Amino acid sequence: MLTLLEQLDKGSLWQSPGGIHPPQLKTLSNQSAIARLPLATRFIVPVPLVGEQATLSVGVGDKVLKGQSLTEGAGFTYLPVHAPTSGQIVAIEQHATNHPSSLPTLSCIIESDGQDTWCDLIPNSLEQLSKLQILDKIKQAGIAGMGGAAFPSHVKLNPASEIDLVIINGIECEPYITSDDRLMRDHSDEIVSGVGVINHLLNPQRIIIAIEDNKPEAAQAMQAALNRSNLPKGVARVTVIPTKYPSGGEKQLIQIITGKEVPSGAIPAQLGIVVHNVGTAFAIQEAIYQGKPLIERVVTLTGEQIGQPGNYWLPIGTTVADALQSVHFIESAEQKVIVGGPMMGYALAELDVPILKGTNCLLVPSHNEIAADVDEKACIRCGECAVACPALLLPQQLFWHAKAEEYDKAASYNLKDCIECGCCSYVCPSDIPLVEYYRVAKSALKIEAEEKRQAEQAKIRFEARLQRLEDEKNAREAKAKEAAAKRQANMKSTDKDAVAAAMARIAAKKAQDSAASSAPTAGSTTQVPQTVVDPKKAAVNAAIERAKAKKAAQANTVSDDEFDKNTAEVNVDDKQAKIAAAVARAKAKKAAQVNAESTVQTPNTAETSVAGTEPPADTVDDKKVRVAAAVAKAKAKKLAQAGQTDDTTVTTEPTTDAVDDKKARVAAAVAKAKAKKLAQANQTDDTVVAVEPTTDRVDDKKASVAAAVAKAKAKKLAQASQIDIGEAVSRPTVGVESTAEIAPNVALTATADSAELSPEQIKKAKVAAAIAKAKAKKLANSAEQEEQ
Amino acid sequence: MAFKIASSPHVSTSLHTNTVMKRVALCLIPGIAVQSYYFGLGTLIQLLLAVSVAYLAEAAVMKLRHKNIKATLSDNSALVTASLLAVAIPPLAPWWLIVIGTLFAIVIVKQLYGGLGNNVFNPAMAAYVLLLISFPVQMTSWVAPQTIAMNHASLFTSVQTIFEINQSFAAEYFRLGIDGITMATPLDTLKTDLSMGLTTTESLTKPIFSGMGAEGWFWVNMAYLAGGLIMLKLKVIRWHISGAIIASLFVCASFGFLISPDTFVSPLMHLFSGGTMLAAFFIATDPVTAATSPRGRLLFGAMIGVLIYLIRTFGGYPDAVAFAVLLANMCAPFIDYYVRPRSYGHRTGS
Repeated sequence: MLTLLEQLDKGSLWQSPGGIHPPQLKTLSNQSAIARLPLATRFIVPVPLVGEQATLSVGVGDKVLKGQSLTEGAGFTYLPVHAPTSGQIVAIEQHATNHPSSLPTLSCIIESDGQDTWCDLIPNSLEQLSKLQILDKIKQAGIAGMGGAAFPSHVKLNPASEIDLVIINGIECEPYITSDDRLMRDHSDEIVSGVGVINHLLNPQRIIIAIEDNKPEAAQAMQAALNRSNLPKGVARVTVIPTKYPSGGEKQLIQIITGKEVPSGAIPAQLGIVVHNVGTAFAIQEAIYQGKPLIERVVTLTGEQIGQPGNYWLPIGTTVADALQSVHFIESAEQKVIVGGPMMGYALAELDVPILKGTNCLLVPSHNEIAADVDEKACIRCGECAVACPALLLPQQLFWHAKAEEYDKAASYNLKDCIECGCCSYVCPSDIPLVEYYRVAKSALKIEAEEKRQAEQAKIRFEARLQRLEDEKNAREAKAKEAAAKRQANMKSTDKDAVAAAMARIAAKKAQDSAASSAPTAGSTTQVPQTVVDPKKAAVNAAIERAKAKKAAQANTVSDDEFDKNTAEVNVDDKQAKIAAAVARAKAKKAAQVNAESTVQTPNTAETSVAGTEPPADTVDDKKVRVAAAVAKAKAKKLAQAGQTDDTTVTTEPTTDAVDDKKARVAAAVAKAKAKKLAQANQTDDTVVAVEPTTDRVDDKKASVAAAVAKAKAKKLAQASQIDIGEAVSRPTVGVESTAEIAPNVALTATADSAELSPEQIKKAKVAAAIAKAKAKKLANSAEQEEQ
Repeated sequence: MAFKIASSPHVSTSLHTNTVMKRVALCLIPGIAVQSYYFGLGTLIQLLLAVSVAYLAEAAVMKLRHKNIKATLSDNSALVTASLLAVAIPPLAPWWLIVIGTLFAIVIVKQLYGGLGNNVFNPAMAAYVLLLISFPVQMTSWVAPQTIAMNHASLFTSVQTIFEINQSFAAEYFRLGIDGITMATPLDTLKTDLSMGLTTTESLTKPIFSGMGAEGWFWVNMAYLAGGLIMLKLKVIRWHISGAIIASLFVCASFGFLISPDTFVSPLMHLFSGGTMLAAFFIATDPVTAATSPRGRLLFGAMIGVLIYLIRTFGGYPDAVAFAVLLANMCAPFIDYYVRPRSYGHRTGS
């Protein structure tokens, strides 16, 4: 088994799959030496010719010399642009460029002064310069790959990995094109000296100058030049390979010379191989030894529509129109002007576009040479395209999916490995422009990938934003919690109940201060809670107890201790109890504000009914109750400020709680409104209030309606005589002595009933509550009358 | 100045679909000639009928589909389809048989699937199977080879028979061998004899097997083989499918023959009898309905070869080309999906 180097030295060749043998038609243009055309008067130099964006170092009106740099830049792949001749910059504007799309590009329009005066050139020798200086000189000369792709050469000459093999590409496999052929024949020594520079920079083990066997003169000239050169013996050699399109493709050439395949998605340098075009070697030599930047190149002007086909040195920036005109171009109908060869070249839409660094050929064919486009016919899946494909793809399958716009499926057939050589289209018996389909599919995939990438970015951004908002919210909450904790700490008590108890104590004290008359003993209050065992009832009872305790406090000078005892009992109960306690406290305040002995009864009716109706609400929802309680509390305050007669309205609210949270709130609001009205008015305005319930019906809350009705009745009753009161008094189950005591008990019985029935018969409970309320009102009215 | 813009490449070969199809049709000529020699001129009449009906049917469908009639007819695909069906059916089959078959092939199998390039099944074979199943008597009434036939059909009598003008010249009349016994095709005879307990050697003594392999059929197959080789030379077809069919059929037949020469037909008989060569070079190589990658085509061909052998040996029909091709047609997309060549720069397994 021979090593690769031995095989390279032997000139062993490998097979590249596929490929075609189109008519060469090279003799049309390679019969004469490279000539020069008269200097054109106008040049278009696109500024971002190759590589990264650069800044212009000249302005409109500036005089430039031939070879003067027009741009400045610092990027790694930046390549300067030079003035192709001496003259004046007449415009810097968007101008169509030499590209299939003819998209406008920022270009310097230079008007030649006809002198063609060079700027100062600095020739060097290899010995004078370090490798970095050589690379910089190549970069500053603006040298890009001359084979067509125009990739900045200094990048390829400064690879990250060790280079074992340099291939100098003199294949020129496209039909018609002979610029490399002529360059090798006419300037073989210069090319070899350029190869010497590459050898100096990369120090490879072997350099292969590859030439197709259809250019024997070029191969001979190169071999002779190599023999004359001072390159180390055994390093460089000329290898002639069989003519086949597309052997000149970088990947195909590597396969033919070394038998290796460049992995998909990789570059040859990863295999330790670099391929440079012969034209690039020539330009490197010019840059180092002559100091000349890349401002002109050999262009094959060929095709039957050209009077003097051949190869010409054309300054970069010469317009295609000028170039063709000076070789006697005859335009035919539906003329195609192709940049590059017939296999991979693109047709120009207009000719006022410049020759670029990668422009190796202008083909102006007659209709005999290149037939007019024919209609695409059905694919018969003959598979000839697969046989011709040098990338071993299945073009028929790619076509099938590309045409159906199933681009993901096309991608699964390795669409990206298509080198667009055109072999498939060339052999297609159905005249299908396969490469065009692949270009469309590739663009679509590219756009899709870009959109996907952007969507991914947007998603990341969105998620980051959500995270940020969440963090901010958490931070705010933490801060609020901290603040709350601080507040609580400031209050020197963490127990809410303790706070409530304290507040209750304050209220009790106030009441104590204002209390003037006597009331029933506290003894009777303790009896009531004992009759019930249910926790809810217990809570209710606790509330009632408290209320009574307050009354007691108002009546007697009950000590704080007893009050504490009551609140301690409350603490045992659940939240509801606390709420009830709070409600009770609020009412206690009201009561405190009312001084007269006789009026004590009225607040009591309000209190007891409020406390009494709460339990059914509790069974429904804890929150609702709290809300309702809070509402009730607020109203209670208002009422307290307004006057004792209005207390009755408060009683209507809690009943609604049992039905629904919303309804309850609405009802509460309605009730509140009514309470206000009542507060503002006095009893004589009751008729007005009685009208209002009709509006409640719209809200479909039976409970509130019932409450309203009850309210109205209560008021009517209140206006009635004391006989009614007597009836009401007869109801209580617990025997009592004073009228003051009747009210709480009435409420209590109603409450006890409703608490038991509430799960099934909330309505009944409500009704009962309403009745209780009504009675309470009656009592209140009677109390008033007594007062009066 | 407006210049013509076009996508590269700007050149292409001169070998177009219509040329390819025309060459296929031309390469059928040796086979048709030999077939006409042995089995009478009925084949030519069938051919004429089939081609006319095919073009008419295709033109009618193109008109209905509002497509360019001339462009479609000029691709010569209908010509090939019609020719293949015409040579596949018995030469003296009644005229309506080929008309039905051709209409079915062109209108239903080909055009209803979207025309050239879109049909799933080989139109000629799908039509053949339709006729075989629908009209088994007419489809199996092969005339006796003229070298051993009792009655010879002239062009005139052929026309009379095909168009059912004169009942005295029924197809049956021309099936009589020199011994006065109605003749079946060699494969049919063998199958019947083997099922009757005769050995192949005993069966092969019958006059139908005089000459090499089978009388007439051997030379017909040789002629199609010659036409196929010309197509290979012209690069109208690639070798993969034909090679795989012949190889797999040969391997299977040899295997059976080696195990039991008395009950299994010899490989030579398999290769040069029935429609083997016609199928291998002209029918299975229809690119539209075959697998498309080289390896896929090898698989496709091998599958046809094996199926031909299995159906001929163990199935109910003496010949099996049409069934084998249709079954393989069904598998072609499947093969194409799983058998893909390794692309450049992709190591094995990717």
